[in-house]
Amino acid sequence: MNDACQRYLENPEANPEHAKECAECRALFDALAISMEDRRSRLSLDELPLAPWEGAKHRPWGLVAAAAIFVVALTVVFFAVAGASPLSVLSSEMSRLEMMREIFRLASAAVRTAPLTWQVTIGVLFVVVNTILVLLLRRAPRGIDA
Amino acid sequence: MRSRRVLVLLTAIAATLVTALLAAPSAVPHHGGGGNVVVFGRNATIDHPVHGDVQVYRGAATVRDRVDGDLLVFGDGVAFEGNGRVLGDVILAGGAVKNGDGRIGGRLYTPATIEGAMAMMTRTAVIVSLLLAWMIVAIVVTLMNGREVRFSSVEVRTSPLHCFALGLVAVTSFVLTAIVFSYLVPYLIGIPLLFALAVFAVLTKIYGTVALFHAVGTLVAGARTREQLARRRWLRGDLAMVVIGVLVLGALRLIPLVGPMIWAFASVFGIGVALATKFGRREPWFLAWAPVEARAAR
Repeated sequence: MNDACQRYLENPEANPEHAKECAECRALFDALAISMEDRRSRLSLDELPLAPWEGAKHRPWGLVAAAAIFVVALTVVFFAVAGASPLSVLSSEMSRLEMMREIFRLASAAVRTAPLTWQVTIGVLFVVVNTILVLLLRRAPRGIDA
Repeated sequence: MRSRRVLVLLTAIAATLVTALLAAPSAVPHHGGGGNVVVFGRNATIDHPVHGDVQVYRGAATVRDRVDGDLLVFGDGVAFEGNGRVLGDVILAGGAVKNGDGRIGGRLYTPATIEGAMAMMTRTAVIVSLLLAWMIVAIVVTLMNGREVRFSSVEVRTSPLHCFALGLVAVTSFVLTAIVFSYLVPYLIGIPLLFALAVFAVLTKIYGTVALFHAVGTLVAGARTREQLARRRWLRGDLAMVVIGVLVLGALRLIPLVGPMIWAFASVFGIGVALATKFGRREPWFLAWAPVEARAAR
């Protein structure tokens, strides 16, 4: 295969005269049992399924702004109806965080004083679960190119 | 390059959240250190003063004397008798407090008090305001890393079961790894390890949820044909799909009882897909070893 063959294979339409001169390339295309004209006529982009990346870069700022305004308005309405200020709710949420921190602090200390059977169970579970995790992570993604 | 920027941004957000959680001011001074009582799998009776915390797992607590620290009960509640009182906080996960009036120096935390303290309408307002925060995060992540979010979105729609299974295993692994790392806390190395684990978990949750928003938006409002896509002015593109996903999942989140469950399931899916696609980069987590001869033969 020479440079002319390479050029033809890369772009048959730009080098149509090569097919007449080169028996090897002609045989290759005959083996495919389809001519370039047929290929063009058969390949219709519209018949292909819509690819995920088509139109993906479009940025509808109107929709984003409308959704944001809707959610902000909804928040204001709910706070107004409830008669609560966002600050009071924030402090209530902070108490929830504080409780979680307390549980975490106490539980981490308790783990070290747990009975041996509990500690062995935790150790075995740690190994088993992480082995399953590694096995699941080894699987390649299946999704088509986005 | 872009994915690195997003990773840095998300890591910064996650680190801030975790730091804020750890550094949040405490309402009551705690009396840690020696004198702690921990009971597993049976009822506990405190009939002598305890200069520390008391923890009961899978059992009930009866307090007949003074506890200087906090009381944590994961089981069947707590009953106060005689001179029993707790100077710190009382945290209950299951059961109720009997005869506890005026005997708790700190705060009483129970699932009922936390849920009940907030009225229905206030809770809805909180959920909607959190939705706004999610929307802002989702828009920023999608603008900076739309391609990766799309990759993950395609994956969760192609392999939902795998993503869900991976998410469940990953959440369990986070919890168990945190427990194992907590053994290392006395040796100091445990603290940075726990911090890194928490940051990674938050990062995974944020990215995965954004990817799930995209998937839900595409399922609900995605164009099926090119003609449909060409006709649309607003409902097209990654940004639109993410915003629609936020609104749909947010609306479902508002449903009492079912909403939190749906959101929890969505989180599991999100964590699963974030890990399955390595944050949309679709690179292998582990390099496969192959001898030179085997590679040449391929």
